[in-house]
Amino acid sequence: MHIVKQLMSIPGVIAAGEYAYRGDRFSYEGALTDEFARMASILCRGNTLSVNMQSEIFDSFAENCGCRPVQGWIVRGDRITVCAVGNYFSFIENRDELLNDVMTIMRAKVGDVQDDLLVNLYAKLGGDTKEALY
Amino acid sequence: MNLDKMMDLPGALAAFTYSDKGELQSHVLREGTELTPQVLDLLARSCVANLAIASMEARGWEAVTGQTGFQPLKGFSVVGLEWSVVVNGNCGVVVRNRDIDYEASFKAVQAG
Repeated sequence: MHIVKQLMSIPGVIAAGEYAYRGDRFSYEGALTDEFARMASILCRGNTLSVNMQSEIFDSFAENCGCRPVQGWIVRGDRITVCAVGNYFSFIENRDELLNDVMTIMRAKVGDVQDDLLVNLYAKLGGDTKEALY
Repeated sequence: MNLDKMMDLPGALAAFTYSDKGELQSHVLREGTELTPQVLDLLARSCVANLAIASMEARGWEAVTGQTGFQPLKGFSVVGLEWSVVVNGNCGVVVRNRDIDYEASFKAVQAG
């Protein structure tokens, strides 16, 4: 089953989606409008690139310290949590055990994010990724 | 803040506290971990920055969309390849991914 559909079948998952490239190419399901999903995609891509940049700095201090490449991030809100793994995101309610279940599914389904995040993100466009990037 | 209690979390590799500016104030490291106080200091600084950014985004998101439930923030986590760091307020814990209980970790740093 596709990861977004699998996430949406869990009670308490508000919305889930996938983004690529500049963050404005996206697909989603759940309680978001197209415009809010576009904003969420841009926000998630920005944060993902930011924490990846930080992990490269950690790596220069302590090579192979176990942080890089970053797999994702979580923002725990008062009643809602946002999870991002690779180029997928989900908005979930703060229910018992839901965060652990969602993270387990996202990590298992997305797999380990490889070293070059931008190549991963651009690859969703199809065509010659290296030409588009470099 | 009880760092020893945070180190009781399954898979905990390090627990630490930091100032509002992100300076490492105290820490406990699991023996044998690759982490160093220098990495924890950098981690603490990045966590302060990330919490501030997340807080700004939560505020903006609520204002633009009208959705509620994000503020006040209860924590932030970066999921690395082998471990995750979970932070809130002025304390954080680094936990091995294969053992991590994210909810327990967030609860621990909220209590800290």
